[in-house]
Amino acid sequence: MRDIPYRIAMQEALAEEMARDEKVFVVGEDVQAGTFGVTSTLVQRFGPARVIDTPLSETAVAGTALGAAMAGYRPVADFMFADFIYIAGNEVLVNAAKWRFAHGGKVSLPLVFLAAMGGGARNGPEHSMSPESLIMHTPGLKLAVPSTPYDAKGLLKSAIRDNNPVVFFYHKRLLGLRGDVPEEEYTVPFGVADVKREGTDVTVVATALQVQHALRVADEVKDRVSVEVIDPRTLEPLDIDSIVRSVEKTGRLVVADEDTERCGVGAEIITQVIERAFDSLDAPPKRVCAANLPIPGGFIEASVLPQPASILAAIEAVTGRTLKA
Amino acid sequence: MPLSNEQLKTLYANMVRARRFDEKIVQGIADGKTVSFFHSGLGEEAVGVGGCAFLRPDDFVWYHHRGHGIGHIIAKGGSPREFVAEHFGKATGACNGVAGFHFVDPEHGMLGFSGTIGSAFPVTLGWGVAAKMNNRGQAVVCFFGDGASNRGTLHEAMNMASVMKLPIAWVCENNLYAQFMPLRDAFASEDIANLAIPYGMPSQTVDGQDVVAVHEAVQWAVERARAGEGPSLVECKTYRFRAHSEGAPDVAHFELRPPEEVEEWKRRDPILLFRERLLGEEVATASELDGIDAEAAAEADEAERFAMESPPPDASILSELLYAR
Ligand SMILES: Cc1ncc(C[n+]2csc(CCOP(=O)(O)OP(=O)(O)O)c2C)c(N)n1
Ligand SMILES: [Mg+2]
Repeated sequence: MRDIPYRIAMQEALAEEMARDEKVFVVGEDVQAGTFGVTSTLVQRFGPARVIDTPLSETAVAGTALGAAMAGYRPVADFMFADFIYIAGNEVLVNAAKWRFAHGGKVSLPLVFLAAMGGGARNGPEHSMSPESLIMHTPGLKLAVPSTPYDAKGLLKSAIRDNNPVVFFYHKRLLGLRGDVPEEEYTVPFGVADVKREGTDVTVVATALQVQHALRVADEVKDRVSVEVIDPRTLEPLDIDSIVRSVEKTGRLVVADEDTERCGVGAEIITQVIERAFDSLDAPPKRVCAANLPIPGGFIEASVLPQPASILAAIEAVTGRTLKA
Repeated sequence: MPLSNEQLKTLYANMVRARRFDEKIVQGIADGKTVSFFHSGLGEEAVGVGGCAFLRPDDFVWYHHRGHGIGHIIAKGGSPREFVAEHFGKATGACNGVAGFHFVDPEHGMLGFSGTIGSAFPVTLGWGVAAKMNNRGQAVVCFFGDGASNRGTLHEAMNMASVMKLPIAWVCENNLYAQFMPLRDAFASEDIANLAIPYGMPSQTVDGQDVVAVHEAVQWAVERARAGEGPSLVECKTYRFRAHSEGAPDVAHFELRPPEEVEEWKRRDPILLFRERLLGEEVATASELDGIDAEAAAEADEAERFAMESPPPDASILSELLYAR
């Protein structure tokens, strides 16, 4: 095992897959230098024909991925900020998502759309979004949201090998997070949740940065309440079975993700749990999400985004215990 | 190289075939056989037929939605039977009856289609990236309407294709209208071909009613593409004989298209013009051409019978189609 940052783990995944399969290439704005360091160093190794810097043209970046995938390549297109996916909404949500289906299964689109999600960097309303629910809502796309360096590397390798369009959100506040990553080759399968911490009193389902928040809170309150933290790792496919099993054990559920609350990931997961395991619930479930507001810049950003304290408050609400130190 | 007599007769036959199949789908609406809407291409057969004539099977074609691409599809080697069956909603259709009016045939370089106008540009850009990476002299021919040229995706894709010197022939079927919108009120320049200038491409403007002129212009662009000289733009001036779609009013804005305009263009029917030319130049005899006409009618009847006898798809296939394994 080595201790390496999330961003380097992603770089390794890209380099390994590019070395393994000459059909894999990276395309996007400033991917040679790498705006977030995720695609950096690849051009030195694989050259500019496989690490393509494009003009500032999001529909062209997405279209390059779509078209090349249809023609037999495995492109990885980087959108820089997740907010910019909306600019290529037609290419991502309408075309990529539907085309295998709409063409009777005669074409496939093995491609990855990479994008940096999340707030916490005070980048303002148009550079801070976590549009997980938008992607999860759209049949035909898969969605990976890694929370650790290990998962980031293993999921990205699986995403590149997947024969479908995969949206892969890396969280801006996790890029420098260090963690154990094996020397040897591995992948993390899609649709398999990971229990990041076992517990018996309450289930906290969390994605991306919220997993790290939840783990921190679980540790802080460990003497008073036993928190189980589950990371679905991919939201489509979603490992609802593991979540339901955990809720059957704990009887209490909190879902923490950074997308806007309304019609969000928490709403979907809680609904599925209620449909499947209503009788197991000892208390109404709780969502921890971004408030139903655009994400402001500056100092007031934190008032809209979910914080560790929001997870703590939700655990207090579902357990009926006062936990604040 | 001038076209041989056989090739000229093929162009004639393909235009007649395109017309018979188009008429089948139009009639199918009245008969309740065509399940979706239809945008007839009567009057515009020379563009698709001339533009796709004598391409390589591995050249990529994005057909135009006029006639739902029947002229392009026939000329590129696609199966018109599957075209009809798809329009009749049958399991034997090109998209297994899932799309209702799209066509796909990867073996003949037709990788798919989109219902959102302007999707053509980013995707065919991606096909161009793939063709360049393949390095086998493949060309991409992307057909689009004058209306599509109003989309911003055109700018992103044409600019990037020129920067990357991709092997793409952009071919505009300018029929002077986008649904009910006359081009003069939608486009700020005289000719669509002027769009080549800012992207540093050469262009040609041709009479879209002259199948040989279209063929030669597109062939020029394709040869440039194969030689690695980058993209070119061809504008074909043409006109649709029927309304925008079956059942829609035949208007410019809210008033009927000027009858003198319609009459003038109908005198320039591409099939009649070409028939006269073949007879005048003694390329074919009247009875030869009559024989071609009769064969085309019989082929369309046979395709209609095939489609009518085919079963509709089973809805159980749908969930299988969404994701590739
Ligand atoms: C993005 C988008 N906008 C509008 C439409 C509706 N629509 C379908 S065809 C059409 C006109 C297109 O005009 P043009 O590109 O000139 O092609 P033509 O139909 O004239 O052959 C319109 C407005 C659509 N399908 N997609
Ligand atoms: Mg038009």
